[in-house]
Amino acid sequence: MTTAPTKPARFMWSLSSVGDKARRSRALAAMSGLPSLDEHVEFCRRAEESGIDAVLMAFGFTRPDPITYSATLGAHTEKIRFLVAVRSGIVSPTYFVQQVNTLSAVTGGRVCINIVAGRAPDELRYYGDFLPHDERYERTDEFWRICHALWRAEGPVDFAGRHYRVEGARINTPFVSDELNRPEIFIGGSSDQAHTLAIRHADCLLTLPDTPARMAPRIEPVLASGTEAGLLVTLICKPTRAEAVDAAHAVVASADENARARHGVLRGRSDSVGYTTTYELAARDTNWPTPYLWTGAVPYLGPPGIALVGSPDDIVDALGEYQSIGITRFLFMGHPDLEQMTFFGEEVLPRVRARESIESTGRV
Amino acid sequence: MPTTRMRFHWSLPSSGVADRRRGARFRTEINQFADLDRQRDFCVRADELGFDSLLLPIGFQRADPMVLATAFGLATKRINLMPASRAAVISPTHFVQQVNAVSAFTNGRIEINVVSGQGSEELRYYGDFATHDERYARTDEFWTICHALWRREFPVDFEGRFIHVEGARINQPFVSPDRHRPYVYMGGSSEAARRLAIRHADCLLRVVEPPEQLRPKIEPALDAGIEVGIISNLIIGSTHDNALRAGAALAENAGERGKAAVAEWREKTLESVGFNEIYRLAKDRASWLTPYLWTGLVPYMGPMSISLVGNPDEIIDAILAYRDIGVTQFMFQARPDLPTLEFFGSAVLPRLRRREAAELAAAGLVGEGR
Repeated sequence: MTTAPTKPARFMWSLSSVGDKARRSRALAAMSGLPSLDEHVEFCRRAEESGIDAVLMAFGFTRPDPITYSATLGAHTEKIRFLVAVRSGIVSPTYFVQQVNTLSAVTGGRVCINIVAGRAPDELRYYGDFLPHDERYERTDEFWRICHALWRAEGPVDFAGRHYRVEGARINTPFVSDELNRPEIFIGGSSDQAHTLAIRHADCLLTLPDTPARMAPRIEPVLASGTEAGLLVTLICKPTRAEAVDAAHAVVASADENARARHGVLRGRSDSVGYTTTYELAARDTNWPTPYLWTGAVPYLGPPGIALVGSPDDIVDALGEYQSIGITRFLFMGHPDLEQMTFFGEEVLPRVRARESIESTGRV
Repeated sequence: MPTTRMRFHWSLPSSGVADRRRGARFRTEINQFADLDRQRDFCVRADELGFDSLLLPIGFQRADPMVLATAFGLATKRINLMPASRAAVISPTHFVQQVNAVSAFTNGRIEINVVSGQGSEELRYYGDFATHDERYARTDEFWTICHALWRREFPVDFEGRFIHVEGARINQPFVSPDRHRPYVYMGGSSEAARRLAIRHADCLLRVVEPPEQLRPKIEPALDAGIEVGIISNLIIGSTHDNALRAGAALAENAGERGKAAVAEWREKTLESVGFNEIYRLAKDRASWLTPYLWTGLVPYMGPMSISLVGNPDEIIDAILAYRDIGVTQFMFQARPDLPTLEFFGSAVLPRLRRREAAELAAAGLVGEGR
């Protein structure tokens, strides 16, 4: 541990599978797309009580639109922020800024953005997006250059790129927030292009976990540029380590071989670097790259199934190791989410804060 | 006489529900967020007064109508929210996904007003460099895809000049007690707009004109089985003279600054067939096109300020004159909006409903809902 964390860790939770008992192990086309609003409102309120900063509102054809859904959940909550996923190829950047600004106005600024490139080309084509992977990054870059210029509000925005062209663009309705003139921006991805985009446009790079030793050099340029780094990871935390390991194995047992086969298909369709890396990590001899990082569920649940597993003290240590390499944000998923998040809020978060407090007072 | 029950809507202003100068302001001075809480109250009041729908227009000086439809839909109980939609700014698949989400949160209280955009300068803000004709062609493609998605003809494949989707599907359906898709309005006065409305919409929305002039223009839409609605400003007084004085006061209040704002807006919307027609009417003829249809505000407050003017009896007669030529939907705005919404909702709307019911009963008909 050479570096003490410079700022307290902040925690987010994914709303993607809340209330979905068969999460990530069903055929996507079989999902109803109609989540229980009551269940999600309850989850958001519990997240507020549990010290969670934001909930992830994912994007995909199986889900409700995250922008209007955030407006709805925002009307039923007070503090929680909404981390709204966005793909660049499906909306005009000017119109996107207008939607986000309006969402900020109706939620009191409780909106942040998660830039995603989209994983499966066949689904992108549902939305009319036929660009190959590398060009998607170029387009995302253009998209965010226009968005940032609109948020800086320095006058009419003119931009002529390969993918986007706007002329004299302006939006009179600003981003509404006590602190910021634009939403906080996260970007998911593990490729070099994703890192470049993060440095150029985002406040935080979100990646799937590897061991801290392997992650440190990869995120170093991002941190050096002043962009934060965060982990997207499943959390399996129980009162004892043995119980946590049992719970981890139960996650695999509850998914069946169909799920394994389905993820084999999805893997074939994905052109995501992060996903490929995690699949490779999971294909090694051991499911335990570190004593707390477990890849056993990846073949069944896909790369986001990679998990931190252990007792509250184990998890505090694990988070501390990632914090020590400069990671300041954590975006969790759980099995099931509500129970795991509540347990996190009660048993893990207070210990994280206690440790952070000791470390900060220990520094001169 | 149509047997379809008349429906009454209001167009939410961007510059404030108490703004006496709606339309007489430079668009760059307007920020709809400045008035958002009062606009929510306005929606609640329109709901209580029994209006059918609230139009949420689209434009760079406005809030996004889709997010507003969500927020205002959650604040109201019965009224429909009608966000305006431009085809060029969003993927049709994503658009359907947004509409379906809002339908789920409001129990289907969302309708769509399709606009092709009034001026190309503003459309270029959004990355839309198409010509007037190309815009209609793209809107046609957009709505062909939307309707296929709402019919759930999955997977939807479509390859047009402007839009290409492959294998498209959206799991979340449109949620409503009685519909599988939103009710669709299409605004526009050009021949292209009319053809598009007949193909894709449930109602053609036009800016008000004298009934005898409007009749031949709406007949193709009525013959095709879709409804027709008119958009008009309202100036109501307790007496005819009070209404006239109110109109004159509005023009005076807007003054030269209003004229300058209108001149600038006109310059930017030269392609709008409907707007040009209003300007022509306002210029070529005396400001009273009929005893109740007045263009006197147009030079000061823009084409959308062409007004039905009168006391409650006169306004009722005017509305019924339009219904007699087949118009069944009425989209109003006013300057300022709130007091006229109150006046119309309490002094005119109940009487209109009684007249409508009595006339239908006398004709041996029972009014049909939509």
